[in-house]
Amino acid sequence: MPTFEADVCIIGGGISAALLAQKLAELRPGTSTLVIEAGDRLFDTEKRWQDRLRSLAYGENPWPGDVIPDQSAEGVISRTMAVGGSALHWGGVTNRFSAEDLRLQSLYGLAVDWPLSWDELERFYCEAERRIGVAGEPGPLDEDRRSEPYPMAAMPLSWNLRELKAWAESSGLPFWATPQAKNTVPYDGRSECRRCNTCEICPTGARYSPDETFRRLLASKAITLHDRTLVRRLVPEQAGGASPRLAVAEAVHRDRPAEPVEYRARVFVVAAGYCWSPHLLLLSASSRFPRGIANRSGTVGRYMTGHAFIGAQIELDAEIYPGMNDQHSLISRQFFRCAPDQPYVRHDLRIWESSVGREPRLKDSNGRVLMGDAVLADWRARAKRGAARVRAYYDAHPAADSSLTLDPNATNRFGDALPRIAHKLDAATEARLPATRRHLLDLFARLARQQNGKILSTSEGTYLDHPAGGCRMGTDPASSVCDSFGRTHDHANLFVVGAPTLPTGGCTNGTLTFAALTLRSASEVAATIGR
Amino acid sequence: MKRRILLQFLFASLAAIPVRLRGQAASISAADQVRLRAVAEVVLPGEIGAPGVDRVVTAFITWARGYRAGAGTDYGYGFPRLRKLPPSPLSAYTAQLDALDRQARVQNYSLADLPLDQRRALISAAIVDAKIERLPARPDGGHIATDLMGFYFHGIEANDTAYRVHIGRDTCRGLAGSENRPAPLTGGNDANL
Repeated sequence: MPTFEADVCIIGGGISAALLAQKLAELRPGTSTLVIEAGDRLFDTEKRWQDRLRSLAYGENPWPGDVIPDQSAEGVISRTMAVGGSALHWGGVTNRFSAEDLRLQSLYGLAVDWPLSWDELERFYCEAERRIGVAGEPGPLDEDRRSEPYPMAAMPLSWNLRELKAWAESSGLPFWATPQAKNTVPYDGRSECRRCNTCEICPTGARYSPDETFRRLLASKAITLHDRTLVRRLVPEQAGGASPRLAVAEAVHRDRPAEPVEYRARVFVVAAGYCWSPHLLLLSASSRFPRGIANRSGTVGRYMTGHAFIGAQIELDAEIYPGMNDQHSLISRQFFRCAPDQPYVRHDLRIWESSVGREPRLKDSNGRVLMGDAVLADWRARAKRGAARVRAYYDAHPAADSSLTLDPNATNRFGDALPRIAHKLDAATEARLPATRRHLLDLFARLARQQNGKILSTSEGTYLDHPAGGCRMGTDPASSVCDSFGRTHDHANLFVVGAPTLPTGGCTNGTLTFAALTLRSASEVAATIGR
Repeated sequence: MKRRILLQFLFASLAAIPVRLRGQAASISAADQVRLRAVAEVVLPGEIGAPGVDRVVTAFITWARGYRAGAGTDYGYGFPRLRKLPPSPLSAYTAQLDALDRQARVQNYSLADLPLDQRRALISAAIVDAKIERLPARPDGGHIATDLMGFYFHGIEANDTAYRVHIGRDTCRGLAGSENRPAPLTGGNDANL
C-alpha cells in the first residue's frame, strides 16, 4: 500500500485548512505539510470569467466540477467539495461574533460558555482580518471596539445603501457597512473590487478565496496537496490505552479506488468543516473505539448548531436602482447585546437593496397580458417606490441531540455510510421562539413606519445558517470533543479546527470566527510539531 | 458603459466560448429568424427602435446556440439539489412559430407581414393558450414570445432602460462613483436602444 509521511497531515481543503497551512508554513518553515482534499483543484482563473458568464446567462454552476455526486449528506447546506471548499462560493461577509457569544452560560444561564476569553479571540479576529483582507468600518457601539483597525477602508455604500441607511436610521437604529473580505484597494497581491455583483464567483480575485492561498503555498513548495483523495478512516496507534496517538489516515484516490493509500504524520488536523469532520470521526469507529475516534464523551456529531433567521421585504419611498451592488449590505449590531434582566433575544440586522415587486412582469394586476411598451410602462409605474430586503440572524442554541449521524441507508461508492444532519434547538430556545418572532416582526414594522413603508412579505428560515458544531470545544472531556485549540481530548496529536469546534453558532455570519479559531489552533499545532 | 456595449460584452464573451464547450449545437433557420423578428417587433419595447430589436434578436439566437443541455446548474444553498439543464428550448420554437404563422395565414398574411395590431393580438392569445403566467428568468421553451421577453426584460439593458439610468447590473464597473445616483441615459446611441 502506498504510504505518505509528513509532519502535519491536514484533512480537508477549505478556508480553515488554507489558513492553517499558511500559518504553519510561516511559524515552522521546513515543516512538511500534506493537505488531503476529496474534491478537485479548480485553479484555472482565466476560465473563471467564462464560468461566471455562463452562470449569469444560463444558470450553470459557476464552479463546474466542485461536486462529488456520490458524496452527499442529508441536511447539508452546500454540495461544494473542492480545493477551497464552501468558501469558493463565499459572499465574503466577515462579521465578528460578540463577547456575549462566549459567555452565554455565565451571563444568561443559557447553553455553555466557550473555553476561551473574548480578548483572546479578538486577537485572532485581527489576524484573520489581516490574512483574509477585510474592508470595514468600525461600528459606533463601544462594545464593538477593536484592538486593531480594519486592514482596508470599508466598501463604499452605493447610492442605494445610502438611501436605505437614511431610511433605516430614521427609526433610531444605527447602521453601517457590513465588513467584507473584498479588496477596496489592491491588497495582498490581489486587485481592487470591480463591483461585478457576482461574489459567489469573483472573476477578479478581489474577494478572498482559499484556493488562491493554496495556489501560492504550492508555488512556494510550502505544502503538498493530494486532491481527489478521500480519507475514509482514522486509525490510532495500538499502544496508548484509551488515549492513543493517531497513527494513520486511510484514504483512497477517486481515480484509483482499488488502491488504498495511507498517510502517517506526527500531527493530524481534521479541517473538513461542520459536516465532514464529525462524519470522519464517527466513520472511524472500530471494535476498540466503537463510538468512533475522539468520542469518549459521546459528543462527536452532537450539538450541531447554527443560527436561525427571519426576513422581510419592505417597500418604501426611496429612489432605489436595483443592481448597483446587491451583494453589499448594511448591518446593525444594536441587538448583539441583551440585558440579563430582559427576555433573551440576540440578533444581527442586515439591509440590502431589493427589486421585489419591481421586476418586469407578464401580466398586470388584472391578469391582462403585457407586451413591449406595456411591460416597460407597468414596470416603471411600480418602480417609483423602492424596496429593501431586511433579515435578522438570531441566536438559537442546539439541543444535545441536534445531531450528525451515519445513515446506514445512504452510502458512497466505497460503501461508507454518509452523514445525516438533523438540527434541533434546545428547550430554552424553543420556549422563547414566539417572543423572538414577535420582537423581530415588531422591529421590521418599526422600520416600515419610516418613509411610508409597507411590509410586502415576511419569511422564516427553514434551516440553520452558517452551520457549525459536531466536535464542540470545552474544558471538560466528558462533555466536549476538544479543547479551545481544537486538540482532541482523546488523542494528543489529533486536532479538529474551525466550524465544528463551535459550541454555539452566534447570531451573525460565522466564517471569520471559524478562521480566527483556526489561526489560534495553528499556533498550538506548530508548538506540538516542535515538541 | 453604454447599454449597447454591455450587451456586446456579454454576448461577445459567450460567442468566444469554444464550440467544444457548448455541448449540443442547436440551430435556428433563416426562415425562423425572420419570424422571430416579427415576434420581437411586438414583444420588445418600441423605444429600443429597429436596431435595438435586431440586436436583441441576434443576442437571443447567440444565447440559444450557446445553450448546453445537460450542463450542471447552480445547486443552490440551504437545500442544494444537483440538476442539469433540460433540452434546449430551441427545439420547441419552430413548432411555435409554425402555429403563429398558420393563424396569421387565416387572416391572409404571413406572420411577418401581419399588421402589428393583429400580430399583437395573435401573440397575446398564444401566450394565454400556453398558460404562461410570468416571464421566465431564462428561456425555457414555454413559448418563444415569452422566452424572448424574459431574455430581454430580465437583462442588464432592460433594467437600465426601465430606470432610464446607467446601472450596469452584473457588469464589472469599479467602486468609484458607486455612491452617486446612477447617471441618466442620454441621447446618441441610447436614443436608439
